[in-house]
Amino acid sequence: MSFFDLVPVKPTLAERAASAVDHGRHWARIALMAAKNGPGPMSRFAQGKDWMKQMARANVLLDMVTCTRSGDYRKANALAAVELVAGFGDLIGALATRPDRVVIHEDLIPPEILFAMDLAPWMAELLGIAVPMIEATFAEPYIDASESAGIPPDVCSLPKTVMGLVLENQMPKGVAMVTSNMPCDGGMASYSVVEKEMNIPTFRLDVPYNFYGDRAVEYFANELRNMIAWLEEHTPGRMDWDRLRMICDERNRGVEAEMELWDLVAQKPAPMAGEAVYLSHLMYMIALPGTPRGTKLFQDLVKIAKKIRAEGKGALPDERYRAVLWNPPTLIYPELFVWAEQNYGVALLMDMLSYNRHPFIDTKSPDTMLRDLARIIMEGPMARHTRGPSENFFGDLFALYERFSLDMIWMAGHIGCKNTMALNGMFRERCRERDIPLFTLNYDLSDTRVVSPTDMRKQAESFMETVMKAERIR
Amino acid sequence: MKQPKLPSLFKELVDMPVSRLVDQAQEQGRRALAYTCSYMPEALLNVEGLCGVRVRAPGVVGTPMADTYLSSVICSYTRSLLELTLEGTFDSLDGWVFVASCDHMRRLYDNMDYLLKPEFIHILDVPHKSGEAAEKWMTEELTELAEKLSDAFGVDTGPEAVNRAVALQNRYLDVMRELSEMRKEKNPPISGAAFSTLMTTSLASPKDLVIEPLEELAAQLRKAPGIDDHRARLVLAGSQCDDPYYVGVIEDTGGLVVADRTCTGSVPALAPIPVDEKNPLAALAKRSLSNVSCPRMMEDFKARVSEVLDVVKEYQADGVVLQTLKFCDTWGVEAAPMLSAIREAGVPVLRLEREYALTSQGQLQTRIQAFLESMGK
Repeated sequence: MSFFDLVPVKPTLAERAASAVDHGRHWARIALMAAKNGPGPMSRFAQGKDWMKQMARANVLLDMVTCTRSGDYRKANALAAVELVAGFGDLIGALATRPDRVVIHEDLIPPEILFAMDLAPWMAELLGIAVPMIEATFAEPYIDASESAGIPPDVCSLPKTVMGLVLENQMPKGVAMVTSNMPCDGGMASYSVVEKEMNIPTFRLDVPYNFYGDRAVEYFANELRNMIAWLEEHTPGRMDWDRLRMICDERNRGVEAEMELWDLVAQKPAPMAGEAVYLSHLMYMIALPGTPRGTKLFQDLVKIAKKIRAEGKGALPDERYRAVLWNPPTLIYPELFVWAEQNYGVALLMDMLSYNRHPFIDTKSPDTMLRDLARIIMEGPMARHTRGPSENFFGDLFALYERFSLDMIWMAGHIGCKNTMALNGMFRERCRERDIPLFTLNYDLSDTRVVSPTDMRKQAESFMETVMKAERIR
Repeated sequence: MKQPKLPSLFKELVDMPVSRLVDQAQEQGRRALAYTCSYMPEALLNVEGLCGVRVRAPGVVGTPMADTYLSSVICSYTRSLLELTLEGTFDSLDGWVFVASCDHMRRLYDNMDYLLKPEFIHILDVPHKSGEAAEKWMTEELTELAEKLSDAFGVDTGPEAVNRAVALQNRYLDVMRELSEMRKEKNPPISGAAFSTLMTTSLASPKDLVIEPLEELAAQLRKAPGIDDHRARLVLAGSQCDDPYYVGVIEDTGGLVVADRTCTGSVPALAPIPVDEKNPLAALAKRSLSNVSCPRMMEDFKARVSEVLDVVKEYQADGVVLQTLKFCDTWGVEAAPMLSAIREAGVPVLRLEREYALTSQGQLQTRIQAFLESMGK
């Protein structure tokens, strides 16, 4: 097994057996999805969807996160990767079997509400986020399709991927669409193209810029109420408040476990890091929140982290540095996390997409649930950090720096993210004032042609050796 | 193309980032507040004791200092403003009012606040959709700003004071509307470049000091001969374009710009402000949300296309020049479906991407020339 510039760990006999079990579970999840939804609907759904072939290779992600790690850390990452695929399977299964209930949504729409309405939500950005982790160049034809249709090259490559998928008829069909003014102007504007091409009724939520305080909560909760009424009018979905309560209660349990996990991660050496932290959050707090499977995943990760901690060890065999990867993880080069661990003992403990405030949802009444869901979206990572006032961005980051006892900040400087690019000057100066080593990794979130993974790795090497004066482990 | 003669005042102001009329107002004891977006209801900044200045950055050559902070992938209007600010060009102004209108402006606000720490700085949260709830939100935002202005500068921002400012603003809008209407004539007495000069300079000046010269000019133009040496009539649509020289290049090639549907253009910004004696801020909020239409207003794509097509009919235009500032995400993305929608309606359209500062004039002329020829003009 070989991965991009990574060294597979020589597995013990037990690890070989565990790996076989993991792969068995991985394929079993896929087989279960096919069996549960029926081969007919699944094959009809898969027809013409090129990305389904790439999804079928999701085992490479499992291989990447497991063959390069050992012990309990390997086990935790395997768990996250397998459950990621399982979550995907659930979402796709619903698309295949309940096409009359499919609602396309932008990534900052609370899916809890859509599930409570017995709809089949599909986050339009999910393919652009997840598939490049399996196949780094996945998004490139769609970026090209988007640019051929007149979208400027400087627009963020994630919305360009979404538009390209729609233009190339790869996006699952929906009966309605819900979007918002998030997460950035490019993302917001992309839905005028998506709406025109998909030609389905569309509702747009408005998230205020000044989102603190009751006035904003009421404004956005009201937007959610209007969305529910609109969905009831345009889809067969009906709001079931008891079901929403169950989902929110489950989400609260998941959050409780995730918070515990973060408390453990904050300890030195960290008993958990890398994909276990961010893949679990990506699927079970963003795309598929409030599911028992998600809660169990976070609880299992906590158990593993506690075990590692009880043995007086860290997740990494030799944790030398602790870092945060600010901005979303490097989707086209997920190997970066492992590479940093293997070469310099850098534990990447947190990223911006995962680190968001987690208000618990008060499930006393429909009103309290909507108000807390409104808070979660408004105080979520993109609304809060990339689009909101810069104080949110820096305040959270510097708080995180203290909380996780970090040695440096890695800024994933996605060239298409104008919101964060326009903070880089301030960022450098504010880090200097605090004596925080800052590594700005120039790259593009979805396009390897802008900066290749090799060049990304070279930038990291250069920073570690010249700024951190780090010695290579291997 | 022959350009009509404008009063020297406006020709002088067009190259000044800060109008000398602003200095004059400040000498009279008024405080000048910079603003950057059409969603800011200017009348509120024009209450007695204040004057609103829509800032421009004419003459900016490069933006090396601004790029250090904002990066080079931010729209060049934003970068140009920061560059001039860092050079001290806007030092004489008394404060800044921003609108959270787009990613670029929000980050300009952050960087201005960090780098300059102005005595007065505010950012207005304008909703991305219209409707009752949005109007209520916007009214509350304006109320907060009005209180802040009153506290900071000791000015009266009560209903009567705001209504007086609205009346002044309406007088200004009346004359600008009259000038704009003249462009509907077969041979209009005013060119697009001349109109753009009047519009951009007057937006950057205290209204009471420009109204009379504008009214005098309107009276002269009523009797003036029309421009008859153009090859085609064009509508200029798209993002912020406060550069009369850009319009001049289009007109030098033979395309008379008869209407401008841009942030600082004639459509639809010149509609009168409704008067609400009791709650003028609510009237201002409603007008802002319904009258100005930037692609930041996420529900209004079809309305924006219709508006452009209506303007084409109303002004008997032969085609549309859809220009967008490079790196502007909202216009950059929306221009693609807008272009096809205009084409589908049978109207010739040319898309241009440009930098804020006028560059590559030869290339622009070639594109316009080819566009006019493609229309058989």
